[in-house]
Amino acid sequence: MKLKLYFITLITLLCAAQVHAAKIRVVATLTDLADLTRNIGGDHVEVRSLATGIEDTHGVPMKPSFVPVLNRADLVVLVGFDCEHAFLPALLEASKNPRIQNGKPGYVDCSVGIVPMEVPKSTDHSEGDVHPYGNPHYMLDPALAKTAVQNIFTALVATAPEYEADFTRNRDAYLARLDAKIAEWQQLAAPLKGVKFVSYHEHWCYFAKRFGLDYVGTIELKPGVDPTPRHITDLISEMKAEHIPIVVREPQFPEKVPALIAQQTGATLVKLPIMPGGVPNTGTYIEEMDYIVHSLVDALKK
Amino acid sequence: MKLKTFIGLSSALCLCVTIAQAQETNEVEQLKQQLRQMQENFEKTANEQRQQIEALTKKLDELTSQRQTTATSAPSTAVTTNQFNELNEKVNQVAEAQKKTRPSEFNPAIGLVGETIFSYRSKGSDAIGSDRPGGFDVFQRSLELNVAASVDPFAKGYAVVNASADSATGEATMDVEEAALQTTSLPGNLELKAGRFFGEFGRLAYIHDHELPFVNRPLALDKYIGGESQSDGVQLNWLPPIPHYVSATVGVGDHFGGDSPNPDHPGNFRAFDGLNFWGRLSTYFDLTPNWQLEAGVSGLWNPKEQNRGGFDAFAGSKGNPVTERERRLAGVDFKLSYVPLQNNQFRSFTWGTELLYSDNRYLVDPDGSLAGTPPVYSGDEFNRSVGSLGGYTYVSYKWSRQWSAGFLFDYAQSPENRSDQTFEYSPFVTFALSHWNQLRLQYTHTSHDASSGLKPDDAIYMQWAWIIGAHSHGWQQR
Repeated sequence: MKLKLYFITLITLLCAAQVHAAKIRVVATLTDLADLTRNIGGDHVEVRSLATGIEDTHGVPMKPSFVPVLNRADLVVLVGFDCEHAFLPALLEASKNPRIQNGKPGYVDCSVGIVPMEVPKSTDHSEGDVHPYGNPHYMLDPALAKTAVQNIFTALVATAPEYEADFTRNRDAYLARLDAKIAEWQQLAAPLKGVKFVSYHEHWCYFAKRFGLDYVGTIELKPGVDPTPRHITDLISEMKAEHIPIVVREPQFPEKVPALIAQQTGATLVKLPIMPGGVPNTGTYIEEMDYIVHSLVDALKK
Repeated sequence: MKLKTFIGLSSALCLCVTIAQAQETNEVEQLKQQLRQMQENFEKTANEQRQQIEALTKKLDELTSQRQTTATSAPSTAVTTNQFNELNEKVNQVAEAQKKTRPSEFNPAIGLVGETIFSYRSKGSDAIGSDRPGGFDVFQRSLELNVAASVDPFAKGYAVVNASADSATGEATMDVEEAALQTTSLPGNLELKAGRFFGEFGRLAYIHDHELPFVNRPLALDKYIGGESQSDGVQLNWLPPIPHYVSATVGVGDHFGGDSPNPDHPGNFRAFDGLNFWGRLSTYFDLTPNWQLEAGVSGLWNPKEQNRGGFDAFAGSKGNPVTERERRLAGVDFKLSYVPLQNNQFRSFTWGTELLYSDNRYLVDPDGSLAGTPPVYSGDEFNRSVGSLGGYTYVSYKWSRQWSAGFLFDYAQSPENRSDQTFEYSPFVTFALSHWNQLRLQYTHTSHDASSGLKPDDAIYMQWAWIIGAHSHGWQQR
């Protein structure tokens, strides 16, 4: 009897292990893509994000502990447009996982199908650390996030076609939620139309276009290059002349200079996440976008 | 009776007249009221009609303006169509241009690194054993050309060609520092590298000069490895398929050390034991999300050393000719890093340490008979092993995207004579104008043991390093 019980337990455990093993192992570079993947993949995926949400999208530390995770991954989901150039290529090489190398089916570039903004005319370093394929921060436009959803869905279906019905149901449900939220955000953001603002790094062109804001400039001199005193002075003068009411600081950048600029110009300083988890209570993509829209609307009232 | 009748009739008449007058007054009032009502009604109707007229007029205006807009929009539609066609033509031209094959189509990624060292050393080169002059010196230490590209779906190739100025003539000499093929899709988590490359030994030996966290390569690496860990050979790396990060590397090559690119055993036949064998095992721990620890052990063995670096015999501690016969080197290293997730571009801390133990075997030839032509074993020769120790430790703290500073302590015994010791300490500060343009100021005090015959000296270095073109963050440079 004891032996029988032992075998039943063993078989149950093996089956459980098999079910666990059957999950698609996905590594997302950033938390927004991890959230989308969880929503589409449901119980069929095991998702790990390299970033926790508070990092710079271009500065996720290259931890060797990521290497075994990537080594076993079936898919790597990335923003693309060279967003992860500072850490992903080296990590992928170290992972020794041929399934997820660039060009392989496991390499899921979510920028496919997105028309980039701010494609540089020149990639000369006099323009800073420019992204040759265009600005990669399209995930801050929730309408473009739908393209990312579709790309992730396609990759999941290609990896596990047997779950296509589940993925389709999950995707449709998520897109319906996202569409409803986009309508809500657009209504909420109506007072932001035409409102001018500056930010530390050039994260916000897609967001500004979607919600009708006027994105005037950045505190950074050039992408990846700290502001010079002259640039700060010029920016303050411009903001005063144009009555720019909002300064956006992304959490991974120091507060000192944005606070100084806000103080000198009378603008409101707003700390906005660039991916879920960037500030408290923004664990999901929808929560993050909720936070961003509400924060800007609140800032305008001040 | 008549009178009564008359009075009655008169009264009746008066009454009638009064009544008639009263009736007349009521009628007037009624008429007036009727008139007022009619006037009010008229005004009301007039207002309503006026409003209707105004509304109709407004509608008419709107319709008219719409017609005008429609009328004027017809040409604009034409303009839009023209613009669309023009745009379409441009897009087609761009698409066609993209299809063209250019002679440079298959060029690899190319980057160039320049590095100039401005220095002042308090003693002359003969007093400090340096190949650079004392006093004021400007040294174009490197102009490094990096090229890299995929060879095919299974491998990538890269090369690093370096030119540096000769201290005596100032002429630049070109040197192939690395030129290797690296597999990208071997099964079993394996990666093979072959050609000339920096072998994986320790922590900083395989880092190019301009990527070091300080100006000069630590003494121990110079003395025990011979600068960069360059080798012509083959190296195999394995990532064990376990959840914890472990990296295992083994390699074999005809020499090991960039300062001595000449292959060992340069004669007409090299036996298997004349090759250099090395290996490294490293691991990593996330102590907290922000604190990291990497550690490793390394080993190098050349069982039958001969003529390393083009030098065969040299003077031993007692002036006897000595020849290196076996090279054995072991190392242990660790790096503790604070890399905050949130703002690691603006703040970080590193403590790196590496200890090396050399246990080379030498052949001592008191009468120098082996140096004759032909070499003759006179019988007084004997083997001697020399165990020596060296290492370095440094800390570096970054407090903004541009500024960081640190301190390096450096110590090494001579691998041929452990009583010959050298130590250095070097505070340094780094200012990075950008990711591709960096200045570093370093002060170094060097002290030698009296047995070396060298003098202590002080030096100030200003390093200016810059990068143009393609530059990627490699795994080894993390």
